[in-house]
Amino acid sequence: MDLLQNNFSTFLQGFGYTLLSSVIALVVSMILGTFFAILQILPQKWVQKVGNIYVQVFRNIPLLIITFFFFLVVAKVIPMNGFTAGTIALSLYTSAFIAETVRAGILSVNSGQMEGARANGLSFWQAMQHIVLPQAFKIALPSLGNQFINLVKNSSILAFVGGLDLMYQGNMVAANTFDTFGTYIIVALFYLVITLPLSYYMQHLERKLKHAA
Amino acid sequence: MEKAKKRQFGIIATIVLAAVIVLGLMWATATAKKNQEHQDTLARVEKLGRIVWGVKADTKLFGLMDTKTGVSKGFDVDIAKALTVQLSKQTGVPMSAEFVPVSSSSKIQLLKNTNIDGTVSTMTITPEREKIIDFTKQYFDAGQSILVKKDSGIKSIKDMNDSKYTIIVVVGTTAAEETKKFAPKAKLLAVQDYATGMQALKAGQGQAMSTDNAILYGFATENPDYQIVGGTFTHGPYGIAFDNDQGPMIRETNKALATLKKNGVYNKLIKKWFSNVPGLDWHELEAK
Amino acid sequence: MSMIEFKNVEKYYGNFHALKNINLEIDEGETVVLIGPSGSGKSTLIRTVNGLEEIQEGQLLVNGFDLHDPKTDINRIRKNVGMVFQHFNLYDNKSTIENIMLAPRLVLKRDEAENKKMAMALLEKVGLADKAANMPSELSGGQKQRVAIARSLAMQPKALLFDEPTSALDPEMIGDVLDVMRDIAKDSSMTMLVVTHEMSFAKAVADRVIFMADGQILEDSSTEAFFNNPTEPRAQQFLSQVEHH
Repeated sequence: MDLLQNNFSTFLQGFGYTLLSSVIALVVSMILGTFFAILQILPQKWVQKVGNIYVQVFRNIPLLIITFFFFLVVAKVIPMNGFTAGTIALSLYTSAFIAETVRAGILSVNSGQMEGARANGLSFWQAMQHIVLPQAFKIALPSLGNQFINLVKNSSILAFVGGLDLMYQGNMVAANTFDTFGTYIIVALFYLVITLPLSYYMQHLERKLKHAA
Repeated sequence: MEKAKKRQFGIIATIVLAAVIVLGLMWATATAKKNQEHQDTLARVEKLGRIVWGVKADTKLFGLMDTKTGVSKGFDVDIAKALTVQLSKQTGVPMSAEFVPVSSSSKIQLLKNTNIDGTVSTMTITPEREKIIDFTKQYFDAGQSILVKKDSGIKSIKDMNDSKYTIIVVVGTTAAEETKKFAPKAKLLAVQDYATGMQALKAGQGQAMSTDNAILYGFATENPDYQIVGGTFTHGPYGIAFDNDQGPMIRETNKALATLKKNGVYNKLIKKWFSNVPGLDWHELEAK
Repeated sequence: MSMIEFKNVEKYYGNFHALKNINLEIDEGETVVLIGPSGSGKSTLIRTVNGLEEIQEGQLLVNGFDLHDPKTDINRIRKNVGMVFQHFNLYDNKSTIENIMLAPRLVLKRDEAENKKMAMALLEKVGLADKAANMPSELSGGQKQRVAIARSLAMQPKALLFDEPTSALDPEMIGDVLDVMRDIAKDSSMTMLVVTHEMSFAKAVADRVIFMADGQILEDSSTEAFFNNPTEPRAQQFLSQVEHH
């Protein structure tokens, strides 16, 4: 407990950066993921290919390598700190998984929904936005929840590039106090503070949408 | 009502489960700590006939992993080998040397967990560390310095006391703490290992990397665009470390170290590793 | 003036020749029923009219626009041509009234109050005013189809396409849906093209009957002539089969 008291502001700062990075990455990866999911179901073969290549690249490369790529290579051209590099990498990496989840969701929405909307005069994008995607997200919700929780945990990648996050601060505290176990238990608890409510919220949302149908 | 009850039960169950996991971890930690105490390192290594040394894998000249063989090479590794031979002679128990790569942030924990018996890993002797582990007498004289790009205009650590500068350090090194004292306004970027630190310096994530001069010399030879400036601003000799309360092991190792310095083995190793480093007067490092 | 005009239209699915040299003209305000055995190409034909299926050769003019011309904006044609499907295709995530109001709001930018008034009037017309707030999953098949018809009418189309609108319904539901369709047919300005197996509906409502088999139009004659005196042997055979039921 001394460990927590003495380093509380350090942990809290890390917690703040982890939360910030997670929220940014969640929003960005949802937008990118949905975009690339839609690309993969458009009729044009080359557009599908672009979407598919994006997903395959970012899904199949370790997050650490993507992070270092931005931190060490891209930063030479566009200066960015570790927090930015890590958050960008986290967003891209997660978006590839979200794209696959959302794509599966879209494919499990009855094709009659799109047909009905198009015949009713809606454009493809209007039909996507108002009819297909809301239903696809509902179907994909449980696996999206998993992706979000993974995202929060994966944000610990920031520690490798000085991203000031919870894991980074944990490393610093562990190095200064030499109490590695104690430090990482505290770090784990802070992660739970984010992931447990997130789990509950996703389950709550699932239940709510189930009843709405 | 029924649903609300179920949900409440779910929440309580999860909290209980989380509490059990946390308490379990704490208990495991406490038990592990208890088990580590009162283990005599010398007795252990004599019984097993081998000493497991923690050495660096990312530090040129001291302990750098040879990617072909997977074995670290450097001054630290050679010192550990020579000490093992000498300790075998002193105790009359034949012992072999084994090597485990350690990082700056992991080595103390590995010692505490008895994953390694001792460590020769560019480790500065500090009062904080001495509280929880034991050091031998110094085996290498070092001091902290900074490595900067040649055209950076930075002449010493004092020039960097400005929030526009970022100094790269490695997590768990004394440099991480010391740098704050000499350039309190500069930002610190702590990375996991020296290789990443050097890459980050090249990528412009910081304007200087700070650690012991001996380590920086290794990087300066590899990267001619970079140079060490301002000399050393701390004095922090390296020691060989063991778990705490290891009186017998420390005594034997200090004796072995003194022998190596006397019989010329130590100076041979200094010459082997440091005679070709530009800008370093390796004769100053020799045992007198 | 013709509302829908097929000129030498050919349609293929890969190697399968689905529509063979279709020539057909439907005038504004006409009600035309399309019949034929399953697999004859009737559904394919009706789906080409609002671009749900592409044609490979020929010309297909709808409201004066050529569907086969890549410059034609398909969304503009769909604004004027409504479609009712066998499986309703209501928006599962929207309430009944939202199903009706969505397209007018997004496509026609209809004023919200006006939109709501029109939607309620249409629900009244199809006898479902009390179901405005219900989700599609809470409606029976016949109710869903009547909502679907109301949804198409809300766009105030010039033409309505019905693709087997009663085939998926329980027998006791069919009457209500056909009643609504009859009402629409009475409106002399609405062009209707209906694929159906309901011969009584065809006899009572259609101006013309078109008989298709194997992707070809075999017979195109007035309702009276078709039912009293079909010329094609296959049409005769088909009629005797369905009338036995």
